[in-house]
Amino acid sequence: MLRYILRRILIFIPTLIIITLLGFVISINAPGDPIERLVKPQAGETGVQTGNTDQQKKEWRQKLGLDLPVFYFTLTSLARPDTLYRIYDKNEREAADRLVSQYGDWPLIQDYLTAARKLNAAVRYYIPDSNATKGLDENEALSAVNDLKFESSALRSSYDPNVISSKFSRMNELISRNAFLERFRDVYREANSRYMILVRSGSKSVWKNYVPCLAFYGRSNQYHRWLFGDGGKTSRGLLLHGDFGISYVTRQPISDVIWSKIGWSLFFTALSVILAYMVSIPIGVISAAKRGSRFDRTSSVILFMLYSLVSFFLATLLLMTFANPDVLAWLPPSGVKPALGYPEGASLWDKIRISTPYIILPAICYTYSSFAFLSRTMRVSMLEAIGQDYIRTARAKGLPEKRVIWKHGFRNALLPIITVFANIFPAAIGGSVIIETIFTIPGMGSETFAAIQSNNYPMIITVLTITGFLTLVGYLISDILYSIVDPRINLR
Amino acid sequence: MQEAEAKNFSFRRYAWGQFKRNKPAYWSFRILVVLAIIALISPFIATDQPWYCKYKGVTMFPAFSLSNSCEIKGENGNVEKIQYDIADWKHLDAESIVFAPVPYAPNKSDYDNADYVSPSGRQVFIDKDGNSIPMPGRFRHWLGTSKGGEDVLSGLINGTRVSLSIGILSMAIASFLGIVLGAMAGYFGDRKLKTTRGAFWTMIFGLIMAWYYAFSVRSYSIADGFSTSTAAMLTQLFISLLVFVFVATLFYYAGRLTGRIPFLSREVFIPVDSIVSRAIEILISMPLLILIISVSAITREKSMVNLMVIIGLTTWTGIARLTRAEFLRIANLEYIQAAKSMGFREYRIIFRHALPNGLAPALVAIAFGVASAIIIESSLSFLGIGVPPTTVTWGSLLSAGREQFSAWWLVIFPGLAIFLTVMVYNLLGEGLRDALDPRLKR
Repeated sequence: MLRYILRRILIFIPTLIIITLLGFVISINAPGDPIERLVKPQAGETGVQTGNTDQQKKEWRQKLGLDLPVFYFTLTSLARPDTLYRIYDKNEREAADRLVSQYGDWPLIQDYLTAARKLNAAVRYYIPDSNATKGLDENEALSAVNDLKFESSALRSSYDPNVISSKFSRMNELISRNAFLERFRDVYREANSRYMILVRSGSKSVWKNYVPCLAFYGRSNQYHRWLFGDGGKTSRGLLLHGDFGISYVTRQPISDVIWSKIGWSLFFTALSVILAYMVSIPIGVISAAKRGSRFDRTSSVILFMLYSLVSFFLATLLLMTFANPDVLAWLPPSGVKPALGYPEGASLWDKIRISTPYIILPAICYTYSSFAFLSRTMRVSMLEAIGQDYIRTARAKGLPEKRVIWKHGFRNALLPIITVFANIFPAAIGGSVIIETIFTIPGMGSETFAAIQSNNYPMIITVLTITGFLTLVGYLISDILYSIVDPRINLR
Repeated sequence: MQEAEAKNFSFRRYAWGQFKRNKPAYWSFRILVVLAIIALISPFIATDQPWYCKYKGVTMFPAFSLSNSCEIKGENGNVEKIQYDIADWKHLDAESIVFAPVPYAPNKSDYDNADYVSPSGRQVFIDKDGNSIPMPGRFRHWLGTSKGGEDVLSGLINGTRVSLSIGILSMAIASFLGIVLGAMAGYFGDRKLKTTRGAFWTMIFGLIMAWYYAFSVRSYSIADGFSTSTAAMLTQLFISLLVFVFVATLFYYAGRLTGRIPFLSREVFIPVDSIVSRAIEILISMPLLILIISVSAITREKSMVNLMVIIGLTTWTGIARLTRAEFLRIANLEYIQAAKSMGFREYRIIFRHALPNGLAPALVAIAFGVASAIIIESSLSFLGIGVPPTTVTWGSLLSAGREQFSAWWLVIFPGLAIFLTVMVYNLLGEGLRDALDPRLKR
């Protein structure tokens, strides 16, 4: 018995690791750059980046650990350097990687990229003063400078040979035509010559791309940091301690957000489970006891139809009928409490009383889908129990039918229902996204949806990890309960 | 007499007979056929391009033609070009014109009737001279319009096509994966598939190498193919597949050769069952809807194909479980032993002899799976993720109806459509279950 439980828990751990890995993979491949979103340019800086913003970006990068490699090791080729992760900008990194796959010779590529970066750094913050533009049309001069800035920064992310040579020729044109840009001639020439050397090396080293090799990074990588924190160097704690990172939208720790929102979700899930059991068990038992009767058949049909109704359809229908000022305004359309909050000094009972009309419709929508499944399970197991010999004995003894059914049959039929209990919990968490969005309930589901809309990836990953964890716990409890209640079950 | 009946007994015919006797299931099958036909011909019955048009002496078939435009030479030599998808067919001065049954495309706005016109409400039509006349019968919006003036009936028909194709195709992927993996797990168990140690490790190494050369090295070619066109993407993927198979085969034969070396020729078991069962457990533990939502949210371009693949890759587990259970039972039956003793190769035994008999529970699961795939797809379009935003499907119509409760036609009709389709598939599944279960022989 204990060994069985231990075995189940042992299998639980690798599954959890894989779920976290999956969440991590999703977050790495998310489009967009989180740093851009976190560091908004300060007022008055539209289009022109100052060193201040750069400094902030660097700090954020270090804080979030985005300057580390992604995983413990990677499978790359001989040509690719294992320090490619240090190039932070995604476009630049891709350009470097593509150059590697075109030419294969990393030292030459590195020289060229360094020169290109130097060129860009020299040009970026240049603002021509009036001495330089003396005698020239101001607008033209400014546009020439901006063109040069644009071309040089685009050069860093270009990899197509045609595109690169067109950028070089354009820069050459700009520098030759405008005397005040002559100062950049040297840097330009260096970048250009390095590129020519690279091109001339041709496909000598391309073969290196086809030789695989493993690059090890040890423990300082993003995944490790995400799981285990980095030992106090920054404020990052362990995932195992509940530190999930920072929300991209509010810049606050995610754990705070989750703690505040999880209350309503848990409440609704618990309520729906209780209601579902309260309704389905009697229906199931009576359908089995009176098999083939009108009650049995009509309830099967009704439950089947309920099962085929999609939750958002029923929710919208209910809202249209009961919360619609034109039809029947019995119930409020959204939220869990009045818009102005609870009145001053409301006790717990008052709060419950006030919130009840708000809760009715969402509760119905949460519960109805489990009715069909639960009552059918109850019916099947009840039928099996009633077919047993001891029931025949009980009837032969002359016991009233009700006692036979409820006292003898029901107890033995209860087993599958108990074990299904732990499986329903995780399912409710997933289905809640739709219902919470429709009824505007401030719970985990609507938070998830908002996070997806605003591309708030740490939040999405966190929700995925938590729900995966809860699902696993649910299955574990279900298995353990099953093996406890039924002594015949041994480990498989 | 009875002997003749016994000799001519075919399980397929028997099951079909049982199925026909189940009235709801049989009717749902017929409704399903009708829905499938609607889905197939939907681009032709709900489009604003006419079936046949004779304009200035030139005969055109816009709805059926592959090209998008037609040039007409006028009398005084100037060429008039009619582009089928943007021409205003209803106001065209044509000699004869035959429209489709629903003469509106699903996502084109009818500005004259915009802003939530009800099916029984007043609908107007601006005729050629610019007068606003009551809507003629053939152009009527039978189920009303949405906020932008899009016809609801046409949207429903298009939604049939989207939902059915996503449901069926994603289940095709799921059932292929589920049946193959489940069959192998159930048939081979943990101790039946044997290879030599050398071949085993060579194969693993070979798979990693094959993956590397097919997908890692070619990653940029594939990515470029993706952004160019569907044809280019499929070509690149195909080439990658060929590379994969080629390298894997090379290593497979290399593994065979290691049979000579004594250390490497020891026989080891490949625990197929354990691997597949662990994979199933892991996938089941993922919260499905949230996983699908997250993955859909991060894929760069939302398309129907992406959605199909995602749903297919996450729902194969139910089918795999059932097939595995069936095969665990079948693998010990006598006719399998007879086949083995006749010397048939393992894969032939699995796929030609065991599989047709072990498919019954999987078929039931597939029917229910299509229903749940349709529900997932409409939930995703209701939330606004999933299909591209310009595609009109049942879920998107419902979410449009949520904004304006008085527009009941936007809620009831798509909702009824989803309800009907899901119920039909559920009934089909139930009917299959009753028909294919040999214990319920009547």
